[in-house]
Amino acid sequence: MSVVRIDPVTGGRPVPSSDRSTLLGVTGEPLADIGQAPRLLAQAALNELRRNADGVPPGAELLVEAARLFASADLDGESIDDYVNRVTLSTGLTAATVRLAVEDLVKEIVALPATTAAELPVTDFGSGFRTRWVPRGRVFAGVMASNHPVPNATWVQAVYHGYSVLVRPGSRDPFTPRRLVAALLRAGLPADRLAFLPSSREVGEFLLRKADRGIIYGGRQAVETWQGDDSIAVRGPGSTKAFLDADLDDALLDHLVTSASFDGGTRCTNLSAVLTTRPVAEVADRLARRLSTLPVLPADHPDASLLVLDAHRAEQIRRQTAELRTELTDHSARHDAHEPFVRLENGSLLPRPLVLSADRAGHPAVGTELPFPFIVVAPWTEADGTAPLRESLVLNLLTEREDLAERALLEPTVRKVTRGTVLPWTAVPGIPHDDNYTQFLLEPKGVVSGDIDSKAGRHLAST
Amino acid sequence: MSSDDFDSHLRKLMAWHFGDATGSPFWLGKRATLGFDPVSDVQGATDLLRFPDISSELRSVPAGDLIPQGLADQPFRVYDSGGTTGAPKRIVDSGYRSRLLEWAHGRLVAQGVPATGNWLHLGPSGPHVIGFDVSRYAALGNGIFYTVDLDPRWVKRLLGSGRPEQAEEYIQHLLDQAETILRSQDVAVLSTTPPLLEAICAREELYELVLAKVRGIIWAGTSISAESLRLVEEVFFPGTAVAGIYGNSLMGVAPQRERLAGDEYPCVFEAFPETTRLELVDEQGKEVGYGERGRVRLHLVAEEMFLPNILERDSAVRIAPTSPGGPDGLADVQTFGTIDDVAVIEGVY
Repeated sequence: MSVVRIDPVTGGRPVPSSDRSTLLGVTGEPLADIGQAPRLLAQAALNELRRNADGVPPGAELLVEAARLFASADLDGESIDDYVNRVTLSTGLTAATVRLAVEDLVKEIVALPATTAAELPVTDFGSGFRTRWVPRGRVFAGVMASNHPVPNATWVQAVYHGYSVLVRPGSRDPFTPRRLVAALLRAGLPADRLAFLPSSREVGEFLLRKADRGIIYGGRQAVETWQGDDSIAVRGPGSTKAFLDADLDDALLDHLVTSASFDGGTRCTNLSAVLTTRPVAEVADRLARRLSTLPVLPADHPDASLLVLDAHRAEQIRRQTAELRTELTDHSARHDAHEPFVRLENGSLLPRPLVLSADRAGHPAVGTELPFPFIVVAPWTEADGTAPLRESLVLNLLTEREDLAERALLEPTVRKVTRGTVLPWTAVPGIPHDDNYTQFLLEPKGVVSGDIDSKAGRHLAST
Repeated sequence: MSSDDFDSHLRKLMAWHFGDATGSPFWLGKRATLGFDPVSDVQGATDLLRFPDISSELRSVPAGDLIPQGLADQPFRVYDSGGTTGAPKRIVDSGYRSRLLEWAHGRLVAQGVPATGNWLHLGPSGPHVIGFDVSRYAALGNGIFYTVDLDPRWVKRLLGSGRPEQAEEYIQHLLDQAETILRSQDVAVLSTTPPLLEAICAREELYELVLAKVRGIIWAGTSISAESLRLVEEVFFPGTAVAGIYGNSLMGVAPQRERLAGDEYPCVFEAFPETTRLELVDEQGKEVGYGERGRVRLHLVAEEMFLPNILERDSAVRIAPTSPGGPDGLADVQTFGTIDDVAVIEGVY
């Protein structure tokens, strides 16, 4: 595939930047020649957006049309197949994962009216009293990562609610936000509502500081600055855990393996720790044996299910896993016929699924997230209580114990609870992923119309 | 100045710096350790490579030892380097720098920077020679010199110890002061650094003031990307003359030369040909070809200071001279990653 030239987009036009960098794919081949946006370009884009931001939502039909274009049209000379190929080569996600992500993005965008309705309380109090939910600001910044395309739905949601949006794409996946931006503009979104700014981490942080609301995706280090900042939604490592207080039958094994390995283990909601009352080594061995059957295939193979990495990233993860192996017991080594990192013919590296076990629930490795099927199994005893279950994006309870379920639900750092063999990402509109994102974007304002019941008005008036 | 002229200047100054009555205690003390005779063996610029790089010693040698005895009756000032690469290095100056700055000022004016009018220097002063430099530019055009105190080492310490919020607060404190000056005073030329220009553009009222009043902007002190420079010139300050100066305490200043048709880089710097040679070299110390990137190696041969064979913290692209025998140009200057195992923090200056 030819090297694609990508430039920042502001005011609906590409800005050919003199600052360029080359994006290499997992095979080491150049994929894209990317014009970087320095801080002053971000400033200029911000000025332009703010000047024209009026907070008026563009309407659901426009978003639905944009989703349709995103999934099917030729945009900036790129077909949907080109797009899938590019994302596969740049992120190492399998082609199947990227195609599914396109479907999921469309579903999320089409469901925005339903999601909004489900995440807001009753707004009509009768007799002329009602609440209008309006954007909490005018300008939104999305600082994205490259682990998966679907998180880009969050900045599209800000567009839907009337924000003017600046997007800083993940460094390995500029393709998804670029294509979404093109689709939104083609569908008729005013050009001064959007800016697409491939840029350094510093410029991303600048955008978050300057915007009224924003979201950041990234590793622990990238997001820690923004913890506790009410105007920024922080999406760090997910740490999805399962609490296994039942015998591991085939159905449960299937469930845990799918939770860990679906989409190649790249979702923030993929399972990464199992705490269990059952024999730890046995549970870990069975998980390792099942995960070892996942095939070694290049990412663009139709049957591929595992992520591949470029040599540099593979080396980083190799070091990290080597360190973990010195402290924990490796259960995959004895079941998996392959090397931990398999070099494929095209030069990319495939990390094999890895199951480790720890000797105690409080081991610091419990909760470690890696971008491929990776599970730490640790023992849980009554004395541990809910402490090891904390800091979980999703907590999957495989137990009959109602008392523990209730205590886990009350843990502030447990963001979602699933019970039984429910996959961690299962949801319908209205089920929060991590807090109520619609209410993060919108705030309630009182609207009181004439002809109100004057007694009721006095009664409710605040001072 | 042709290379023959430079070589004859060099031979004259070898006799001066290594003459018992005229040389500095520092160089006279070195003479026996050199392993060659600088007066008879140094005949041309290439022989400067025989000298050791003494720049680290400038961190600790008593500044008085750097003053040539032949100039002992002249008043001298001491300046520090920024301290980007550890403890600062010291230089001494009596009148040389003023001659250099007159040349540099002429080059800035040739590029549209107002020849007269008041200057605001939003950058370091104190021990940093840039403050003196800019005051001379202002004086050369009979302009008033306004300044705002900036302690670049404090900013580097804040950034180096993970306190970016405090660095940002300090920057806003500097901008407050600049804004106060710009509100009531006439300022024709603003001298500052790329990060502070970015910070100015992020403050609407201050930006509007600069846009309305200032007719020339001089940037120096840190690198700037080609796209950032384009945005400064075309988007944020169209109609304002913008000129960059590459420089540091040891070398002096190398202002941007006029932009020529066919220039691949928007900004090409040239050093003062009478006293200074800048070479761009590879890891083996061999000069790189035109269009290639190399690390900056400096030779300064002036009456007041002799600084041969000094490897600088920066790298740049080597640009062919605009006329035969003219000095090489430097483009796309960037800070070299680490020097002497000290991570380089550019900060705001």
